[in-house]
Amino acid sequence: MSKCVIDGREVNFTPGQNMIEVAKQAGVEIPFFCYHPGLTIVAQCRMCAVEVGMPGKDGNVQMMPKLQTACSTAVAEGMVIKTKTEKVLKNQKSVMEFLLINHPLDCPICDKAGECDLQDNSYKHGDAYMRYTEERRTYVDLDMGPVIKKNMNRCIHCTRCIRFGAEVAGIREMVAIQRGNNTEITTIDGRALETDYAGNYADICPTGSLTLKGFRFRKRAWFLKKAESVCEGCSKGCNIELQQDANVVYRTLPRTNLEVNKHWICDEGRFHFETIHDADRVLSPAVQGASGLDMAAWTDAVVKAQGALKSGKVTVLVGSDLSQEEAQDLKAFLAKQAPQAPVYHFGTPGVKTASDDVAADALLKRKSKTANLHGLEKLGYKPFDSLPAGSEQVLVFRAGRAVLPDLSQAKSVVGVGVFLKQEAQAFQAVLPGLTWAEKSGTFVNHDGREQKFQRAILPQGQSKALSEALMLLANQGTGTGAA
Amino acid sequence: MHPALQAETLYIQHFRKKDEARPLSYYLEQMQGYTALGKALKMAPDAVIDEVKKSNLRGRGGAGFPTGMKWGFIPKQSPKPKYVVCNADESEPGTFKDRDIMRYTPHLLIEGMIIAGHAIGSKIGYIYIRGEYTREAKLLDQAIAEAYSKGYLGKNILGSGHDFDLTVHRGAGAYICGEETALLNSLEGKRGEPRVKPPFPAQAGAFSGPTVVNNVETLANVPFIVNRGGEWFSSLGKVERSGGTRLISVSGHVKKPGVYELPAGAVTIRELIYDICGGITDDKKLKAVIPGGSSAPVLTPDEIDVVYDIEPLMKIGTMMGSAALMVVSEDYCAVKLIKRITKFYAHESCGQCTPCREGCKWMEDILHRIEDGHGREQDLALLLDIADNINGKTLCALGDAAAGPVSSFVRKFKSEFEAHIRGKKCPNV
Repeated sequence: MSKCVIDGREVNFTPGQNMIEVAKQAGVEIPFFCYHPGLTIVAQCRMCAVEVGMPGKDGNVQMMPKLQTACSTAVAEGMVIKTKTEKVLKNQKSVMEFLLINHPLDCPICDKAGECDLQDNSYKHGDAYMRYTEERRTYVDLDMGPVIKKNMNRCIHCTRCIRFGAEVAGIREMVAIQRGNNTEITTIDGRALETDYAGNYADICPTGSLTLKGFRFRKRAWFLKKAESVCEGCSKGCNIELQQDANVVYRTLPRTNLEVNKHWICDEGRFHFETIHDADRVLSPAVQGASGLDMAAWTDAVVKAQGALKSGKVTVLVGSDLSQEEAQDLKAFLAKQAPQAPVYHFGTPGVKTASDDVAADALLKRKSKTANLHGLEKLGYKPFDSLPAGSEQVLVFRAGRAVLPDLSQAKSVVGVGVFLKQEAQAFQAVLPGLTWAEKSGTFVNHDGREQKFQRAILPQGQSKALSEALMLLANQGTGTGAA
Repeated sequence: MHPALQAETLYIQHFRKKDEARPLSYYLEQMQGYTALGKALKMAPDAVIDEVKKSNLRGRGGAGFPTGMKWGFIPKQSPKPKYVVCNADESEPGTFKDRDIMRYTPHLLIEGMIIAGHAIGSKIGYIYIRGEYTREAKLLDQAIAEAYSKGYLGKNILGSGHDFDLTVHRGAGAYICGEETALLNSLEGKRGEPRVKPPFPAQAGAFSGPTVVNNVETLANVPFIVNRGGEWFSSLGKVERSGGTRLISVSGHVKKPGVYELPAGAVTIRELIYDICGGITDDKKLKAVIPGGSSAPVLTPDEIDVVYDIEPLMKIGTMMGSAALMVVSEDYCAVKLIKRITKFYAHESCGQCTPCREGCKWMEDILHRIEDGHGREQDLALLLDIADNINGKTLCALGDAAAGPVSSFVRKFKSEFEAHIRGKKCPNV
């Protein structure tokens, strides 16, 4: 462990550590815009400039005449870093002024307001007065495809998006054109974005220049409550944050986990939360009636399910999208209630076992489109191939993401969990369950990492947790008040 | 005749012969062509570097960094190829000396580069030439072809076992590509934007290999140094720490503008203007001197008794830069001049770092306003503050290049600015 001095305090650091991070650890905030821990250092915004000095041979500290950018200066043993001197503060004020002279200052109608680095730093380090009286620079924006909305007038040219595309997403689609004051950040030839990771452009944008089309104008950032979750889009187990207000999830943001997803998530995972509020999701118990699947009381649906369970000819299919806790409960339940029944897990077509689950791209995505395939295998669930001969009844447990196999041979199917109306059309009954956003639990990702996720919202409609549904099934509809 | 004009010169007598001096035959017969190469190849690389160190040769591109020391920074062992890159971008306004070297004595540059390659252990050289120098690029290509045909370039040069390949790479017309790391980016086919330093080119330059980037004149001096010794070269200079002669580009309102070759530090600016260049056009009064290319802070007539070399100019707050002296006579408007200079820097700013991208254009807009008679009293303080906010806070030196002239003009020609503001028009019109 080496030592340096930041604002008069001795601070430990590991050689090679970034100065901004070292300061952050010590509780000293050095403001920045272009720096991002997941991208290369460009030292362009100049906001993080600090005074730096090194002890000479005589032991006296020799401060460098010029300010040094904290993002690009390697911290060295004995280094003295001053982040609050007059010179540093003047530079911060000046950079803020430079960044704002051509910025539209349209925070009231900008969707980034409330979580905007430019806004925050302006309040903290800028000046309330502006000396600029010339005409502001404006641009014409081209459409960037379905994910991102661009507003170049707000851009502060930090080039994080350019670097993200080239360095992380592996596609050089964002570029700087023109130069100097006319520099424009855009896609090559004004084309739409191609990467499957486009949502990250909005996350890393330090201002309202790149925002999510799907989120903007839907909810102000300060109304959102956050829950730490894990993406259930595939077996990667990317760490995410679900943000909700009044029991409605509005968006998914990545949480940094350097060992899993670093700072990123894919668009598939980012927008997967939309299925929680799918208008076609079955949110009340339903049984097959004269006019097809129809709403019913929980008791009626439970009776139907019990009938299947006790028929002696039941096959149980378990989606590998169930949490580890649910899968464990279910295992114990089936051992008692239907010990003879064959039990299989199902999830992604073409991915029968964990060994089929390989990386689907160079960055994050995995082949298995369910989150807990590896966990279910760990619990001893066997992969599903085809329905065994003579199985008339099928009981399907599923949390929403596992792809239903062909069940046309079965005489009757009962679903427990998350289903869309069109999927469950031919089912005898549906007992509505919870998506991952409505429960807490654990997923085991592709390399065996057990990750907890927290409930973000309350159960939607009349859906119940699997443990509760199992209890109803076991107690013949008499065990709880719901009966 | 000024005594400095009688001193020994290396280039100018050949420049005077114009096209006659260019062919390889002339170079071999009249200029001891490629003898230095033969000599250098027999020397140990370190001995060549030592000789250059002894010569007190300092970079002729603007920064004046000791060339021998720069070469010494190149690591001896490198897993990646090393490169010699010649900065022939000559983009500083007012500079046109490298053009003459490439036009009339291109082989000096080629020989210098091969020797530099030997000294640092590089087999590959690039001449990054300004896009506008189409004619010079062609001439260099011809000269390189001549050198290849005679075995000075290519494999196993003069039977020494040393290889060196040289390629001319044309820029597309950007001032910033004269900055060495932006030049390297451009050479690699990327956007011409300066890189964050460190790493310096000596550690990771062109294609991430150790790279030495030298100006045309710097490299062209090398054959002289090898042939006649570093001490001799050093003794040509008239001030400490500056060896050799300097090619000076004089332009503006003087009777005899052009490229001059004088021993380093041999004259003051006054002598240069009045004794050597014949004084101001139409015998007008002198108003201002920009001593080192448009990025150098301006000097007023009472400041020109300063020795025209790196340290003396630095002491009075300006710089020698690329030795481009621009002379301004009394009837030229100072506001118009600094507005034009600032417009250039705003136009040439690469746009990656904040103070330069936003600040240069802001200064240009204000200056434009003042020139048009729409200035305000507080504009001058604002200009000085913007310049201060840019100066020393940018990623590369372009910000300083734009800020220095503005603050020097506002300070030294304050009354003229005020006359514009109060009179609501240019008083010179």
